[in-house]
Amino acid sequence: MQVSPSPSPACWSCHAATDGAHFCPACGKIQPLASADYFAFFGLPQRLQLDADDLERRYLSLSWKLHPDNFVRADQFERDLSLELSSQLNDAYRTLRDPVSRVEYLLARLGVRKEGQTRQQAPPELLEEVFELNESLEELHMAREAGGDGDETAELRRRLEEAGRGFEKKLADVDAELAAASRDLDAAMDGARDPLLARLNEILNRRSYIRNLVANVARELQEGEPA
Amino acid sequence: MAYSDKVIDHYKNPRNVGSMPKSDPQVGTGMVGAPECGDVMRLQIKVNPETQVIEDAKFKTFGCGSAIASSSLATEWVKGKTVEDALQIKNTDIVRELSLPPVKIHCSVLAEDAIKAAIGDWKRKRAESESQPEASTAAAQGD
Repeated sequence: MQVSPSPSPACWSCHAATDGAHFCPACGKIQPLASADYFAFFGLPQRLQLDADDLERRYLSLSWKLHPDNFVRADQFERDLSLELSSQLNDAYRTLRDPVSRVEYLLARLGVRKEGQTRQQAPPELLEEVFELNESLEELHMAREAGGDGDETAELRRRLEEAGRGFEKKLADVDAELAAASRDLDAAMDGARDPLLARLNEILNRRSYIRNLVANVARELQEGEPA
Repeated sequence: MAYSDKVIDHYKNPRNVGSMPKSDPQVGTGMVGAPECGDVMRLQIKVNPETQVIEDAKFKTFGCGSAIASSSLATEWVKGKTVEDALQIKNTDIVRELSLPPVKIHCSVLAEDAIKAAIGDWKRKRAESESQPEASTAAAQGD
């Protein structure tokens, strides 16, 4: 969990210590990526709570400094670095700006969240609920496709709107849980982090079902809107 | 990303879509989900209590084409197998049969988990009915 990258990298041009900065403090030359970590890219510690305005300022300042336009007269090596770092900057900003993808990123980085290998299950009640609502969605969809009778479709719509509101509430609740667990993780000592990381992962898992449903319900209700 | 012909075939003509009564003592129900994408899958098996052969299987999946194809294939494969043989089905077999790309491997994992969950549910029911034969008969009739 060290933020600072490998032991004091040296400038490729003047060999002064760069301390992981994007530009050499001695000669000012652009430097290769010192750390793959998105937090470190902005000079930030690996903390989940971050000040969005501060992040934006860092992003704007770096995008100005790293912009390929500044390197049109530099040699190929520096032009390539400018492109590479600008692209990394955009990925890092997109990821860290959103509190949910920030958690996903940190967990993936720490090896807690592995794509395609998870076998953790959501609570069975949630799966049941998600399944049932998906069935109602399908029912509404088919009733509409069949041009079914107005009253029936209206009743289905009403039920879906209600269920949709329920799940929007759940989404807000799970986001609040995620924010609270993020605060706990930032405050935790090293030894206490593992259970909190597992908890964050469990919250993210539940969230993905709820988020999908909210999106599906919204899409279905929108499509069914009388023209 | 292009789907393989076999995925498209299962997606367009899914086998064994549907449901069986959950409370039937011969039926095992597995409900699983993939947290990466929010897909949910329900797979049910009907087991002959004498031979332990899976005589019927049904599924319903809300998810992408690969998740639907994986569960459709899983129902085809478990039918006619004994529960012990069905437990041997691995997600890698599904990956191979459907030529799933790496980003869709979790769909095959989901199908394997669904088979195991359905068999687990059936075994639990059977153990319960053996310990309380009268209560379970009454419950089954009540349906």
